[in-house]
Amino acid sequence: MSMFAGILIFLGLALAFGLLLGYAAVRFRIEGNPLAEIIDKKLPQTQCGQCGYPGCKPYAEALAKGEAEVNLCIPGGEPTMIEIAEILQVEPKPMQAEATEPKPKMLAVIDEDICIGCVLCIKACPVDAIIGTTKMMHTVIEKECTGCELCVPVCPVDCIDMVMEKPNLKNWKWPEPKAAAERTE
Amino acid sequence: MNIRLHQKLINLIASIYPMAKRWLHQFHGGVFPKYNKSLSLRQPLRTSYVPKQLILPLQQHMGEAALPCVEVGEQVKKFQMIAQPAKGLSAPVHAPASGKIIAIEQRILPHASGLAEPCIVIEPDAKQDAIENALGITHKPKTIAEFKQLLLNAGIVGMGGAGFPTFAKLPDQPKKIKHLIINGAECEPFITCDDLLMQTHAPEIVRAALFVAELFDVEQVICGIETNKPQAIEAMRQACEDTRIRLEEVATVYPMGGQKQLTQELIGVEIPSQLHSIDIGVVMMNVATLRAITQAIELGQPLISRFVTVSGMGLKKPYNIEALLGTPFNELVELAQPEPKLNYPLLMGGPMMGFAVAHNDVPVIKTTNCILANPPETSDEPMACIRCGECAEACPVSLLPQQLYWHARAHEYDKTEQLKLFDCIECGCCSFVCPSHIPLVQYYRHAKAEIREIKQQAKLTEIAKQRFDAREARLERDKHEREAKLAAKKAAVKQQAADAPKVEKTAADAPKLSAREKAIQAAKARQKASQTTANEKDATAKKASRKDNSKPAETAPAQSANDKRQAAMQAAKARAAALKAQKTASTETPANLTEQAQASSVEDTPSNSASAEDKRKAAMDAAKAKAAERKKRQQESSQ
Repeated sequence: MSMFAGILIFLGLALAFGLLLGYAAVRFRIEGNPLAEIIDKKLPQTQCGQCGYPGCKPYAEALAKGEAEVNLCIPGGEPTMIEIAEILQVEPKPMQAEATEPKPKMLAVIDEDICIGCVLCIKACPVDAIIGTTKMMHTVIEKECTGCELCVPVCPVDCIDMVMEKPNLKNWKWPEPKAAAERTE
Repeated sequence: MNIRLHQKLINLIASIYPMAKRWLHQFHGGVFPKYNKSLSLRQPLRTSYVPKQLILPLQQHMGEAALPCVEVGEQVKKFQMIAQPAKGLSAPVHAPASGKIIAIEQRILPHASGLAEPCIVIEPDAKQDAIENALGITHKPKTIAEFKQLLLNAGIVGMGGAGFPTFAKLPDQPKKIKHLIINGAECEPFITCDDLLMQTHAPEIVRAALFVAELFDVEQVICGIETNKPQAIEAMRQACEDTRIRLEEVATVYPMGGQKQLTQELIGVEIPSQLHSIDIGVVMMNVATLRAITQAIELGQPLISRFVTVSGMGLKKPYNIEALLGTPFNELVELAQPEPKLNYPLLMGGPMMGFAVAHNDVPVIKTTNCILANPPETSDEPMACIRCGECAEACPVSLLPQQLYWHARAHEYDKTEQLKLFDCIECGCCSFVCPSHIPLVQYYRHAKAEIREIKQQAKLTEIAKQRFDAREARLERDKHEREAKLAAKKAAVKQQAADAPKVEKTAADAPKLSAREKAIQAAKARQKASQTTANEKDATAKKASRKDNSKPAETAPAQSANDKRQAAMQAAKARAAALKAQKTASTETPANLTEQAQASSVEDTPSNSASAEDKRKAAMDAAKAKAAERKKRQQESSQ
């Protein structure tokens, strides 16, 4: 008798909690994919499309769904790959040979003497960092450029160069002491 | 005198337990390096050294670089402003001597980076043309705003080493400053420039301090000087007599001159982490800054020179100098008779916090307090950390340098931040006491720079993301708009199609109604065709005559000018003949007449030879002929 009572109690509890959980799943449903948001935050937001997806967010969404490989973000390099792998709890995959180190930040610079004002680069820029209009010279807004290089191949007159940011007093960093690190390791 | 007695007692104990010296001051840690201050005090103060070239960097301060307001080749006077402050945190630059601007170009700065930045180069002349009262003062500033404007115009920045524009660190309202502290501690080894400044210009320092105290309604003015400068203390004591300034002798310990340390020592309050001294009502000013303020408010002179110590183990006659800003380091060092030869990099600043310059011809700037010529010693190789904990004992900010070191080396920057890396004042005490000679401060500086960059990068990333999202939204909107337009067009077309049956009906009716007309037109066309064939015989005859007319005209261009005239004559004759022929033809058959009338009109227009009357006649004839023809045809069709 007491055995049946126990079974009944547990059945009743299971049913009650099941209903509660079922209700909660409907009531507190989260719109969008939180995992994709988290991954998107780790991506470098250059919107370069080198991963094969049209921007960082689509890649993050594909990753969250498990449709994409973790090693596709070239600007992010290995550190980003490892971070993504940790979030998704999958095995890290080696990057392609040339993309192991995150690239130093480059800026697109338009040679304004050559520019013919074709607006192709303006259409290609994922962050609207190029200004200009038809048959007028274009220029890159330096501080908005993410260095994604998407504007380079579309230029019909090859007037866009990727240049390193010049070192100045504002972006100069104290170098890391190297000798000591080597000796103590 | 009390402190002196106390000191003697402590020194006695220190002979047994060296770290007893730390009992003499309020803040944690501190170190006791060899001071070597007497070196540069042996020589008298030098003044009025004018170098061959004055190199004035546009960035001698924290914030934005100044903007040059002179051109190459321009003659400038002493005290003339040559670069105006940029917007925001900035300071102007003034000409330290009269002369010619010979270049505005990139020169290496006295900065740890060794980068080249824009500098104005002046070649001084012997004229010593100076602008009297360059700042145009008529009276001492009466309001705080006026005073701050004057400080900005005079280009005064913190001359203790930070180079923070002085106007920006003062509050806008009075009574915000409770304690004004005059910093005369000068704790770095070798440096004696502030010491000498206090010895020679004590009244000026005191006057500026009293002025600021009055203007800002300051409660308390304290002057802190380390005990190892008895002459300076004496001079300042005399100058402070009968004033509200309280002179305090403070223990000789490095880094007593640090803002946080001296504040703690003098008012017993520690500046909280992440806060500025002004947040607790403290403003500290270096003695050199105060002297520059006096020169500005009393004489209207902007900042063009400063006291610099030229010292070091590699110099025979180290000295102090009131150097013009822009004087190259190596020229000043040559005056001190370097021994051995100067073939090593000089240091700017003291041995604790100073850095080696990239090239020895870098100029003196507003923050250069010392040029140090210490021949390179065989530096000890860094070894592994033995976890002795000496660094934690020595840290004046009570941080854990060893922990910071591990995390900084492992690039675990979030952990270094948790350990309050940004409270580190980079004084170098930890590196100084480290038995393994680990360059700890360099690790912290690197880590700080990295963290700043990461934060900057995060900001940029956020902006890029926003811009990307905005662009996506815009493209989406455009697409929708286009689709909406297209849909609207389609709807319009459909509407038209719906209305079409009515239109089509009317359109369909029209041809029905005009079916007869169509038939008539078709008949007419057929008639014309038959007409042309009938008239062909006459036409060929006419054409032949026309050919005769046109031939000479066609060949004429090929012939000479004389021939041209002849040809023109012939053409005119031919035309006249044709006209005659027309007239005779008008009496001929009506069909022929129409042909000829048309031909004549074609031929006449270029020459204008036929009169208007002839034309009318011809047209009339043609009309008559047509009417006759029609009659004829009607008769034929009826038959």
